[in-house]
Amino acid sequence: MEEMLKVENLSIAFRTDEGLIEPVQGVSFSVKEGKTLGIVGESGSGKSISTKALMRLLPGTAILGDDTKMTYRAKSGEIINIEKLALNSRKTRDLRGGEIGMIFQEPMASFSPVYTVGNQMIEAIRLHRDMNKKEAREYAIEMLNKVGISNPSQRIDQYAHEMSGGMRQRAMIALTLSAGPQLLIADEPTTALDVTIQAQVLELMAGLQRDLGMAMIFITHDLGVIAQIADEVAVMYLGTIVERGPTRDVIRDPKHPYTQGLLEAIPKLDTLTHRLSPVPGDIPSPHARPTGCPFHTRCARKIDGLCDQQTPAEISLGEGRAVTCFLHSSEGRDVA
Amino acid sequence: MTTVTNGDLNNGNDQPLSAEQKRLLKYYSASQWTLIWWRFRRHRTAMIAAALLVVMALFGVFAEFVAPYGPTSRNTQYLDGSPQLPSFCDDNGCSLRPFIYGVTTKRDPVTLRAISVPDPNKRVYVELLIEGEKTDLLGFIPTNIHLFGLQDPKAKLHLWGTDDLGRDVFSRTIYATRTSLSIGVMGVFISFVLALIIGGTAGYFGGRTDMVIQRITEVIRVVPIIPLYMGLAAAMPKEWSTTQIYFAMTLILGLFGWPTLARRIRSQLLSIRNEDYVVAARLAGARPSRIIGQHMLPSFTSFIIVDLVISFPYMILSETALSFVGLGLRPPTVSWGVLLQQAQSIRVIEQTPWLFIPAVFVVIAVLAFTVIGDGLRDAADPYAEAK
Amino acid sequence: MLRFTLERLVGMAITMALVSVMVFLIMELPPGDYADRYAFRKYSGTGVNVTEADIQAIRVDLGLDKPLVFRYFDWIGGIVLHGDFGQAFAFETSVLKVIGNKVWLTLGILFSTLLVTYMVSIPIGIYAAVRRASVADYGLTVFSYLGLALPNFLLALILLYFANKWFDADIGGLFSSEYKDAAWSIAKGWDLFKHLWLPAFVLAWSAVAYQLQTVRATMSDEINKLSVTAARARGVPEVKLLIKYPARLAINPVVSTIGFDVNRIFSELPIVAVVLGLTELGELLLRAYLDLDMYVAGAILLLLTFMIVFMNFISDLLLAWLDPRIKLGTS
Repeated sequence: MEEMLKVENLSIAFRTDEGLIEPVQGVSFSVKEGKTLGIVGESGSGKSISTKALMRLLPGTAILGDDTKMTYRAKSGEIINIEKLALNSRKTRDLRGGEIGMIFQEPMASFSPVYTVGNQMIEAIRLHRDMNKKEAREYAIEMLNKVGISNPSQRIDQYAHEMSGGMRQRAMIALTLSAGPQLLIADEPTTALDVTIQAQVLELMAGLQRDLGMAMIFITHDLGVIAQIADEVAVMYLGTIVERGPTRDVIRDPKHPYTQGLLEAIPKLDTLTHRLSPVPGDIPSPHARPTGCPFHTRCARKIDGLCDQQTPAEISLGEGRAVTCFLHSSEGRDVA
Repeated sequence: MTTVTNGDLNNGNDQPLSAEQKRLLKYYSASQWTLIWWRFRRHRTAMIAAALLVVMALFGVFAEFVAPYGPTSRNTQYLDGSPQLPSFCDDNGCSLRPFIYGVTTKRDPVTLRAISVPDPNKRVYVELLIEGEKTDLLGFIPTNIHLFGLQDPKAKLHLWGTDDLGRDVFSRTIYATRTSLSIGVMGVFISFVLALIIGGTAGYFGGRTDMVIQRITEVIRVVPIIPLYMGLAAAMPKEWSTTQIYFAMTLILGLFGWPTLARRIRSQLLSIRNEDYVVAARLAGARPSRIIGQHMLPSFTSFIIVDLVISFPYMILSETALSFVGLGLRPPTVSWGVLLQQAQSIRVIEQTPWLFIPAVFVVIAVLAFTVIGDGLRDAADPYAEAK
Repeated sequence: MLRFTLERLVGMAITMALVSVMVFLIMELPPGDYADRYAFRKYSGTGVNVTEADIQAIRVDLGLDKPLVFRYFDWIGGIVLHGDFGQAFAFETSVLKVIGNKVWLTLGILFSTLLVTYMVSIPIGIYAAVRRASVADYGLTVFSYLGLALPNFLLALILLYFANKWFDADIGGLFSSEYKDAAWSIAKGWDLFKHLWLPAFVLAWSAVAYQLQTVRATMSDEINKLSVTAARARGVPEVKLLIKYPARLAINPVVSTIGFDVNRIFSELPIVAVVLGLTELGELLLRAYLDLDMYVAGAILLLLTFMIVFMNFISDLLLAWLDPRIKLGTS
């Protein structure tokens, strides 16, 4: 099982009027062929920005870290160093859509309201596949069918606002997949949907992934969805990954206090006697980063003198698991 | 109302607030208007514009004091005279006080008429707060002190020259400032009152009343405005007095200036009627007067004020344009437009360009109002990014 | 689409009907009427004593003694059914003759102004939005303020002055002196074309200032929308992306305000026409007002408003064609 995408030390900084902010600091993860990596975190954790960097979709004002490396193995087998790609070169455009595709949280907003769904699909197909208009249209209809949209030959000439929410999301999936990417980044695709539609769309995505042999990065704040769909999970907080590992293991036995807090915060239906226990406090603004471990301001198990002074490094726990916390480091164990 | 202790603010920690916390407290408890003022204050260009406007308005209000001469007094010895700018130094040395040259009468060799020529040996000093012509400040306070004047009461100082009848351009422009700005204010005021009534009715009642009012508004909006104004102005009988014409002009300008404002008020009322916070207030049992006063009005009062400020330039430009072509205020009233009417031809530009100075005032006034309006809009928008 | 068009047409008719009432009332506003002035003009200085009865006779003759409502219908009926706009006072001939082909000249000025406006404001506005903090962006801001603040007639005077000084050119007016009364020919057309740029420039000045800001603001908004990011994520090349997605939507507000632009141009026209010596409807309107020639004034007012209402109609149709959300009632 090879790694088709390897991200090392991804750091992203923005120059703003208030100074330099670094929403993502030293993030490393990898995605294996045909597998799903789930990235979970609150809003402000940097999960979306990290994946946008993979497609060079960040604005020109974004600065990547010097030792950031994003290595990707294309469909042809060629190894591409994404961090070296220019913002608008041919290669980058081929990468976008053709190799790595992205679906978004708001399906309505992702389609242009003045062109039909078909128009936008055919545009994408012809950019990445060698087809003429007629062939592209047929292919598009086929894709719409594949995602479970009824009457695809009619729907293709409709506008996004003429479709229901669930259908729009399916159409967006069809649009993205019709370009033939082998890695799909799903940026909170089910957050805006009701639960029943959510289940359908997740099922659809899992099925498509199997059929097409795609790898997937699934971003969400919903641990329940992660449990369903992700093979591996990375928990992000304020721009760093605090815990990584196979989903089952991380959920059953979380090592980082944040992960533990997230799991505890999930309301349990079997016991109604306890109050809900959220993770206390708010995520700090990227302008006001805490010194030391980013989570220590909300951590019940922080070690004074250590966690608020020094930043923990990532510690490998074996079997594909890693955690970034002093509680698991030698220094932490000494003090505790 | 319960008292708030430091403990409440500080997560249970009942200790004196730090400087940072005090600052945050002041920020979070400021009223809407204070917030808008703070944000506006940071907008330097708008503050400069506001200062300029205030100065202009003061000139207008205290025109009798600022202007050395009345708007219609003539200096028959100095027709089409070029501006007399005081200097501090000349061939005879420098002085702390600015001066101009006195005039001596000579006979023009060609026409044999007596003309006045500046005499470089006669210095007449310019002084501040000097006694000059008798006049009535604000129309009813008799005084004869002017902002500046000449030491020699018999000599005349024409800072910006004179026109073909010998009238001082500077004084006339100052008096014109009063007229033009006041017409603008009254025109906007009348428009505003009309807009409140019409737009408010349409927005509040909705339904058929709204539709009828919409149609009428549409009719007025669709006709080109200056030709419309001209039509009404043309109907003013020639026999009317200057005061009558003045008030008629404000009426005319106000009478057709309301559609844009009314539309804004109406659409705001209609849209916020169903906003969540209004519904929430209703559900909480608030009285209608409280809902309107506390919740609905503040949400768009700031926009209305911005719209009002932005209407000023249009009023002023309209009056200027109308008077410029002779279908507005008429002499002896002076407004910027009336003054510019004398500057209509190329010949004038070539020979007596200082007659254009009122145009500068127009441009400054309009620019100032526009900049202030923009600044206010940025300051009033709660969703605008902090600059 | 057909239903949409019909709805708009009916709306147009209703609006014009109401406008005609208002115009008629304005026509009736000045004291005295046509009969008074006709009698005065005809008999003054001739030593003939004109009595009130004589004037009344003239009135009955011209049908001016009927009550207001009847006179309104006479007037509007004449226009709609016969194309007869009444009699012009200043020239003692039919209004239609007086207006003559000035309508076409006015339309010529209008369309050249619109052309200049859109050809300048749309590309520059789009560019300034894409390249923020560029020279174009700052220049645009400065220009918009100037454009709104400087009255057109002043601009016209300044331009006239400089053209005179530098080129010694006779650029005022719509025609050079040789062609003024000549018959229409290619040469005359070319002469007109050479003269049109000045009024078009002056009239477009404030329209451009306004539209530049609108285009830039809309384009800025649209560029940040998710649909643009999504298209970029599909690998659409940047320039094609900008034109196909945000630019297309940035044009919408411009299209929707075509009627408004025409309205503003016609509003400024009379004054600019006077300064530049243009011989078209705006200038004629001003003269009619000064002469209190109300039939001419009313006719011109009606014509100008009709053109505005018609352009509003066109803009509605164009907008519905451009934006599928409007036809379907969702927006």
